[in-house]
Amino acid sequence: MAFGATLASILSTGLAMGAIYALIGITYNVMYSTSRVMSFTAGQLGMLGGVLGALFTLRLGMPLLVGFALTLLCCAVVGMVTEFVAVRPVLASLDQHLYVLSTLALALIIQQVTAIEWSTEPQAFPRLFGIGSGALDEKFWLPVVACAMTMGALEWMQRKTLVGRAFLAVAEDNFAARALGLPERNLRIASYALAGAIGGIAGYAGGELMLAFFANGAFLNFYGFVPVALGGLGNNRGAIVGGVALGIFQQAANFLVGGIFASVAVFVVFIVVLLAVPQGLFGTSTARRV
Amino acid sequence: MTISRRTFTVGSAGTLGLAAHGLLKPAFAQSEPVKIGWLAALTGPSSAPAVGFNRGVMYAVESINAAGGVKGRKIELTTRDTQGDPTKAVNATQEMISAAKVHAIWGPTNSGEALATTPLMARAKMPNLHPCVVDSLIDTGKFPNAFRMAPSNTQWDDAVRNYALKILKAKKVAVIGDTTGYGTAAAKASVEACKKDGAEVVYTAQIDATQPDMTPDMLRMKNAGAEAIISWSTSTGMAARLFNARAGLNWDVPFVGHPSLGSGEVGTLIEKPANWEKVYTINYRSCSFDADGKLPARTQEFLDKSAGKIDLKDTLLWWVVSGVDVINLLAKAVETTGSTDSEGIIKYLNGLNKYPGLFGSYTWTPTEHNGYPTDEIVMGLANSSKSGALKLAPGY
Amino acid sequence: MTSLSDAAVEKPAELGHKASALTAAGPFVALAAVAAILPLIGNDYWAVIATRAAIYWVLVAGLNLIVGYAGQLAIGYVSLLTLGAYVTSVLAAGNVLPAMPLAVCFAAAAMTGAIFGVVVGLPALRLRTFYFAISTLGFATIVTQIALAWQSVTGGGIGLTGPEFPKPFDTPWGFYTFCLGVAAFATWITSNVAHSRYGRALVAIRDADVAAEANGISKSRALIPVFLLGGAMAAVAGGLFAVLQTYITPDAFTFDLSVLFFIAILIGGRGSILGPLIGTVVLTILPEFAAPLAAWSTFLYAVLLLVIVLAVPGGIADVLDFHNRRVLTNNRAIVPDPSVLPGLYAGRPAAEPLTMRGVVLAFGGVRALDGVDLTIEPGTVHGLIGPNGSGKTTALNVISGYYALQKGEVRIGDTPLPTGRPELRADLGLARTFQTPRVVAEETVLENVMIGGTVSGRAGFLTTLLALPGRGRDERELAARGRMALRAVGLESLADVRASRLQHSELRFIEIARALMLAPKLLMLDEPAAGLSPDEIARLGDLISAIARHGTAVLLVEHHADLIFAICQHVTVLNLGRVLADGTPADIRSHKEVVSAYLGG
Repeated sequence: MAFGATLASILSTGLAMGAIYALIGITYNVMYSTSRVMSFTAGQLGMLGGVLGALFTLRLGMPLLVGFALTLLCCAVVGMVTEFVAVRPVLASLDQHLYVLSTLALALIIQQVTAIEWSTEPQAFPRLFGIGSGALDEKFWLPVVACAMTMGALEWMQRKTLVGRAFLAVAEDNFAARALGLPERNLRIASYALAGAIGGIAGYAGGELMLAFFANGAFLNFYGFVPVALGGLGNNRGAIVGGVALGIFQQAANFLVGGIFASVAVFVVFIVVLLAVPQGLFGTSTARRV
Repeated sequence: MTISRRTFTVGSAGTLGLAAHGLLKPAFAQSEPVKIGWLAALTGPSSAPAVGFNRGVMYAVESINAAGGVKGRKIELTTRDTQGDPTKAVNATQEMISAAKVHAIWGPTNSGEALATTPLMARAKMPNLHPCVVDSLIDTGKFPNAFRMAPSNTQWDDAVRNYALKILKAKKVAVIGDTTGYGTAAAKASVEACKKDGAEVVYTAQIDATQPDMTPDMLRMKNAGAEAIISWSTSTGMAARLFNARAGLNWDVPFVGHPSLGSGEVGTLIEKPANWEKVYTINYRSCSFDADGKLPARTQEFLDKSAGKIDLKDTLLWWVVSGVDVINLLAKAVETTGSTDSEGIIKYLNGLNKYPGLFGSYTWTPTEHNGYPTDEIVMGLANSSKSGALKLAPGY
Repeated sequence: MTSLSDAAVEKPAELGHKASALTAAGPFVALAAVAAILPLIGNDYWAVIATRAAIYWVLVAGLNLIVGYAGQLAIGYVSLLTLGAYVTSVLAAGNVLPAMPLAVCFAAAAMTGAIFGVVVGLPALRLRTFYFAISTLGFATIVTQIALAWQSVTGGGIGLTGPEFPKPFDTPWGFYTFCLGVAAFATWITSNVAHSRYGRALVAIRDADVAAEANGISKSRALIPVFLLGGAMAAVAGGLFAVLQTYITPDAFTFDLSVLFFIAILIGGRGSILGPLIGTVVLTILPEFAAPLAAWSTFLYAVLLLVIVLAVPGGIADVLDFHNRRVLTNNRAIVPDPSVLPGLYAGRPAAEPLTMRGVVLAFGGVRALDGVDLTIEPGTVHGLIGPNGSGKTTALNVISGYYALQKGEVRIGDTPLPTGRPELRADLGLARTFQTPRVVAEETVLENVMIGGTVSGRAGFLTTLLALPGRGRDERELAARGRMALRAVGLESLADVRASRLQHSELRFIEIARALMLAPKLLMLDEPAAGLSPDEIARLGDLISAIARHGTAVLLVEHHADLIFAICQHVTVLNLGRVLADGTPADIRSHKEVVSAYLGG
């Protein structure tokens, strides 16, 4: 009985957190696909999804759907701002890794403004549907559903729409894509907007679980990157497998050895996997350099 | 060497001044403001207490200055926002001692900061009042200049434990803290004291306050058969998640613990109001409504007088009144001794017996600088906050 | 005779070098003077702030080699400060082992810091920059959490008392003096490393990692010493930090501190010591003036970081670099002087032939090299031509070790070349240039060339660190040799100019000078004439021939058929990964298939 409840708790929380991590991992991937840049704003977008959702619905009293749409819109705009401010200016010198610094700076700016203008304490997030309780509460299954739907939509887009195929082409080889006459720059902006919206979905769907809290950004930056590292850079399915594995591993460790050692365990696994399989479990080896 | 040089300079200047200006020197000292340093974590995480203290401090300083100051001397407040960062606190402390040359320091407000600044202030013999609960901060041998304006952690712990064991009659308790410095330390002390009192501690853990779901820990406490949960965390998010998880398990175990369990923010984070029932938090007689819904007369008088001048909606009353107490107390010390000399202030504070503050009656002696009376610490109903005050918990 | 001309070249250069060293030391002397008079004018508050700046600099100086020089973005370095603070305090307090003398505590902290410096740095050796950044970030969180959890040792959240210094260092100014001494020492040792083959190797890894490998610089062998050093220095800074704070708790080690260290370096400018030093001082003092802005401090740091990255990527150092703003003459000609080549080749082992036998390399299904045989004799120029995609550059990359061949073998003399290990080629006497010149734009021309002599340096890391005689000898020999190589390619007058200011054609000659540092057995040139004027091509031809005459086997990949036929003794034509033709230029010119497929006759 107790064991069953424990297992249910580990699975429900683990899957939910795993889905959130996976979505942030996809956010990293979508940005990376068109720009070859990994951005520290990925986690902050997740944080904003929660904070803006709470702001629009609870503080400003907007209807749920309007609040949701506005949240995604704002996150998409933040994604585009990332592209304009922190990515485009440093793309020319990609090998100097200046993007690490520019996106870190932007991420810190977002976090600090949120801390000062919103709150440094976690704030309530609206209850969306009020469906389910216990291990089947909506706060656990919402992120999973959001993750599945996002993944489905992405795959559909890549297979069936022109824009999606153009994304794939740019991701494959952006020089060739430009040579083919694809509007590489616009596609990049679009992909950052898309990434922003996906990060927003992660934060919004996980809002009930993680609350509207400014420090979630830094937290998600790390834990959202682990699935990317595990699943292979640019591999969305890998990110989902990695995310879910991380979520369940973390919850199980949480339960078995307690909070502090759980994070140590996650970190150790992260480093060991990276050193053993640098390109990730489902990744392809890196490009030629000479 | 530096110290001796400075003493020499000050000494010679004093002699010269006296010789040259005769009676003018004391007149100058009379008009010089009373300088109080205020080390406050006004922004950043865990800034809520300092924000509350600050409202009381500002109110008291304005009141005294509006009434003409202390024997004609205005109070001059030097505030530094330390953001709860011990590094910034050390810099600010040294600045107040060496550059601003304040006469007394109030704060810092977080234990981590106070642990670093207290030795510095002791070296400079700076009169220091602070509200930090960590026991080791008060040591009349090492820090004869430091006085605690609030209960010590032991006093808090005694109150919480007594309530859990004696009034709630729990035999098996769970003790939890968050992963912050304060949480780990307080939980550890609490576990030891509970064991000493013969209670069985069936579960103890450091919980990461950002953990999204507290069900695993609640489950384990339930399985261990806990009859009361003692919680030491300043995190309101963690408190709310614990209450929600308790409701999810259909468990009605009582929570007893840190004042943050009764913070207004918890109310916005719980899933339904009922989740906040059976939560008892540290409070004080001076800030408690009795069975008739009345505050003590001294407190009520203050509220009437300050009505409209202090915002009490999103803070705790005891933070505000202890801020007021500090300024009044320091003003009183200067008024009584007639000078801002640090030795005089410390001597005055050492002789304080049942000083009737708003927050409580303080008593300090040269060998005991924990001045807050234990019997004024009571438990309150966490969900009953009004104007920052709480209803008395059942059993008093 | 050689030694005589050596001395003649060396003397003026040496003098100029001394003068520039003096101007370079000027700002440091000024800073030291300010630091020295501070106790006379400031109060104890200033003592605390100045001590803090000195302590932070001890950490930043080490981190500077990692971030500023090697370009490895360690953003969570506060973790090593934490580690050092705790090791020192725990050992001094004696709550685990018996209380130890301060010197032992600091030594133990330095060792622990060094070990963890490498542990945290490991991902940098194999992974992309961002992975390393994230892993240092993760480590920073873990260290704090462990400090909290391991109560019996660290005191958990209650923390523990920091060590106390004995007289005369127990007063604010006394301790300041001590920290100032440590900071000065830190400046000196990191400067010794920075201005040595180790420092140049780091910068090469940062800005031209492919070229670095070709010059015998192994990423791990270059980075591990600085990870050790950076970790040790950070941990010592941590110990001093604990003394200054008098008491440490985990919440003293905020992420903001990491950001401060990191930004100090970037404001200061990468590849500079003075810049980050100024950056550290400014960032330590600034918040004291801007007390009302405390809440916004991290925000302002972040804005500062963004502005620097986007607007002044060179930082303070760039702004202060007046030397490199002097106008260069526009119509300068490259006039190689092969007469100094004997000096470069003196005392080198005899050249050997390079042989490729049955080399196969396929990418996916495409056989880029399909059983290639090739012999390059010493003392000859061997041309390698063929249409685009025929496998010329691939062949070069197999010989240089960037690609691991799948079948066959490559030997220099009788020694087989280790497969896929580019960093081992320089030791075997192989040198090369690249299609797109790979030079370090931020360094001077001479420093770029000296990178080519990395493998010939003998002074070890410790010798370099402490500037023992071996380092000076190395530096003098490398610099003299570098100037000689520059004279050989005709760029000696630009030796002290930053490479970023040179024209494209000049960069090609820098690469040749860099390769000449080895007096290589085999020199591989990948389209060296691309982008050169006809005059320059002619001089390049003469230079290549002269190099071959000194015994080097030259492998020349080139599209300029004129140049090939003018200077090569032997030509191989590749097509679709196979040898289409092989022989003297005359043979090739009359080869029917070659003429129709490639020469377009």
